[in-house]
Amino acid sequence: MSALLEVDDLAVRFGDVDALRGVSLRLDRGQSLAIVGETGSGKSTLAHCLTGLVQPPRATGSVRIDGQELLGADPETLRGLRWRTVALALQGAPFNPVATVGEQVSEPLRAHLGMGAAQARERAGQLAAELLLDTAALARYPHQLSGGERRRAALAAVVALDPALVILDEPTAGLDPATSRDLIDRVRSLAATRGFALVVISHDLPAAARLASRSAVLYAGELMETGATDRVIGEPTHPYSWALVNAYPVMTTTKDLRPIRGSPPDPRDVPAGCPFHPRCPQAEAVCWEEHPPLEASRGRLVACHFGGLKTMLTATDLHRGFGSGRARTRVLHGVSLTVRAGEAVGVIGPSGSGKTTLARILAGHLQPDAGAVELEGAPLPGSWKRAARALRRRVQLVLQDPWDALSPRLTVAQLVREPLDVAAAGDAEERDSAARTELAGVGLPTSPGFLAARTHELSGGQLQRVALARALIVRPRVLVADEPTSMLDASEQARLLVLLRERHVELGLALVLVSHDLAVVRKVTDRIVVLEAGRVVEEGPSHLVSSAPRSVTARRMLDASPILAPIEANPGLDTPDDGGLEMAATEGG
Amino acid sequence: MTPVGGVVDEPATSPEQGARDPDRPARSRLGGARLAAYLLTVYVLVTINFFLPRALPGDPIDALLDPSQPAYLQNERLRAEITAYYGLDRPIGVQYVDYLADLARGDLGTSIRYNVPVADLLAERLPWTLLLVGAGLTAAVIVGLSAGVHSGWRRGGRDDRRLLALFLGVSNFPAFFLASIALFVFAVQLGWVPLAGARTPFASGQSWFTQVADVAHHLALPAAVMAVSVAADYFLVMRAGMVGELGADHLLGGRVKGLRERRLKYRYAARNALLPAVSLVAARVGTAVSGLTIFIETVFAYPGIGRLVFDAVSFRDYPVLQACFLVLALLTVTANLGADLAYTRLDPRVRA
Repeated sequence: MSALLEVDDLAVRFGDVDALRGVSLRLDRGQSLAIVGETGSGKSTLAHCLTGLVQPPRATGSVRIDGQELLGADPETLRGLRWRTVALALQGAPFNPVATVGEQVSEPLRAHLGMGAAQARERAGQLAAELLLDTAALARYPHQLSGGERRRAALAAVVALDPALVILDEPTAGLDPATSRDLIDRVRSLAATRGFALVVISHDLPAAARLASRSAVLYAGELMETGATDRVIGEPTHPYSWALVNAYPVMTTTKDLRPIRGSPPDPRDVPAGCPFHPRCPQAEAVCWEEHPPLEASRGRLVACHFGGLKTMLTATDLHRGFGSGRARTRVLHGVSLTVRAGEAVGVIGPSGSGKTTLARILAGHLQPDAGAVELEGAPLPGSWKRAARALRRRVQLVLQDPWDALSPRLTVAQLVREPLDVAAAGDAEERDSAARTELAGVGLPTSPGFLAARTHELSGGQLQRVALARALIVRPRVLVADEPTSMLDASEQARLLVLLRERHVELGLALVLVSHDLAVVRKVTDRIVVLEAGRVVEEGPSHLVSSAPRSVTARRMLDASPILAPIEANPGLDTPDDGGLEMAATEGG
Repeated sequence: MTPVGGVVDEPATSPEQGARDPDRPARSRLGGARLAAYLLTVYVLVTINFFLPRALPGDPIDALLDPSQPAYLQNERLRAEITAYYGLDRPIGVQYVDYLADLARGDLGTSIRYNVPVADLLAERLPWTLLLVGAGLTAAVIVGLSAGVHSGWRRGGRDDRRLLALFLGVSNFPAFFLASIALFVFAVQLGWVPLAGARTPFASGQSWFTQVADVAHHLALPAAVMAVSVAADYFLVMRAGMVGELGADHLLGGRVKGLRERRLKYRYAARNALLPAVSLVAARVGTAVSGLTIFIETVFAYPGIGRLVFDAVSFRDYPVLQACFLVLALLTVTANLGADLAYTRLDPRVRA
């Protein structure tokens, strides 16, 4: 038996706008599918196509419901199919403003089943009750209902004829979280009792994740990734899905929200090759030349030439010791680490846990005794031969102490352009202008006075930004930052972290942030690796490690993390008179 | 206001049914406010109607002084008596109060020209004007709105292009020109309708049916000219409303429900597009009674208010003019009140 819904190579063109390009989908009876994507990705057009609202010549390809082709079907066939077999709840639940809600809920019952007015009204009442909608609402006009009530009424109308396929276009848009949650629960229980197949179209990822067992990510009218929801939304692998999930605020997110760099493509001029390549952190020549097919990768289908996010940096079983003979201390005991394109990984651990050693090995400045570091699948060379240099430049390191790291004899301009001088890239003029651009990129002035300044004339925060500009000027793929803020005051630290995050998103860098400060790391990174005495004791998403750590080390670091709370709240110091404050002040001093 | 076939077909559940409890007090309060505003407008109109002619240069007595006028009076004493008779020698405040008091009694004064009570003149003329305007506008509403619905629903189609060209063309002719052409073609050349008047003179002892047929026969052409002059506006507004509704989300919602075209066209699109048209229908009542009637009744020698105004202007028959203006103004504001009330009934959103 054929699937309930089969979409093959569906393309829709409105004038010079490509709304959908080669979308193929399948949905069996009782299954659920979420279609997610940004505004303008073609989600609503897809919904309209599934009910035959878009017809040739605008639409090409095939949309079949229950084996019946919708594209090119005659109006009577479509009319018979609509609402009986496939019911679409449009975005925003639009109602005819001059007719009561009840009339509009019972309308399909009368039109399709030929029910009389009284019978249809009674049935509408039952449907409303099933949706936990006050039946009095049916006698009202649409404008007299709240947003939540309108959605419920729309749902009551959608399920009125027991359709085999229900399509919900942005079912929760504009609703407050509690109402949205109620509505989602209602849809879930309806789907369970009535057994209809469900297509949810939404930019609300949590709603989509709760409603559908499978998900598809749509970008510029194309499917980027499809598969089980817990994979596609839980562990997205296409760079776009990954960025989309990262841009979504959820309570578990601890780091700052990260917008997807760039902006969605102009639908009149979708980029050639992979449509996401201008915004993709890992795009290469092949991405703007060839269109990637939707292929199986990592347990789902992904439209990416690299099968999804590339692994930028892999460290496998690193060992390293210092000194010789008896005095030799072993600092790393088999540390492994991967960093994917565009990802920010935090490495935390107490002093002496081997963080800095790891950072230097990852950046290629220190060779491990055993184990290997691979950059984009190729071993990171340890030599300084000419051929190796270009590859090594792809990983850059920012150190803890900028006074130490930057030569006091060079001016700011010289410091920033030095990497280009070493690489012998372009002529002197180009290097100077690149240096100025880079300085502006990290929020520093480019006045002649500043360019001629030397390190002792700058503040710590400014110096660290100069160091960052110096690292970024060679356009690395991976940036390793070792305690970049530990010498800075809180304000300068905040500024540098914001800057780091901005440049990280803007340049699509993979970032390794090494720090002992959990509060700092969790604001910037996606994943945290906890190091203790040269071993990885814990690894996981930043929000989990920073809120519910499993390892003793991480828990200790969490307990020691700074919290701003009134002293009165501390039971140990709780005294009713002023003495408490004085005592606290004394202790603090 | 329910002339367009099928537009207002009754919904499954009566619109008032559930809204009754919460809406009832609000609606009557709203109705009361509307009525108060209406009465205030009427009072202002009456006042303007009293002062405006007195602010104009020249007065009826001047006409008596002008040897070229048929009403020329030589006797100075007689002129003074006439002035006193009409109360024109008294202070304006007193005249105003008297005017209001007379109006309250239904006394609109006496026509200077015909020397009969103005109220009697109006009672004789008003029904003809109401008949003409009523028939003309009803036809305009039916033709204009239904053509607008049809045209807008198939925007860009063959019918739409033809109707648009037709109505735009017709609406560019002035009413008196249309009236003259129509009179020449249909009455003079073809002889289908009588040349002038509202009924065949000196006919008596006819049956009730013959009389009605006679009135209708006389009415047909003037009413048709009025309908054609107004219908283009109705058509254009209704068409624009329909075109606006074509892209409305709720229409798409009705379509995905698998409803029939007819229901989408009337219940979803036309019913909503009707709302702006209602305001225009009422606004055109004012244009029709105060402008078109004068041209049309004059051209067709139709015994209505418009003709009376035309004659009264030539004779400076002030009491008649004043009364006519008052009646026309009242008709206009009453039509607007009617539109307001109809709007309230048609659009549930303005009720709350």
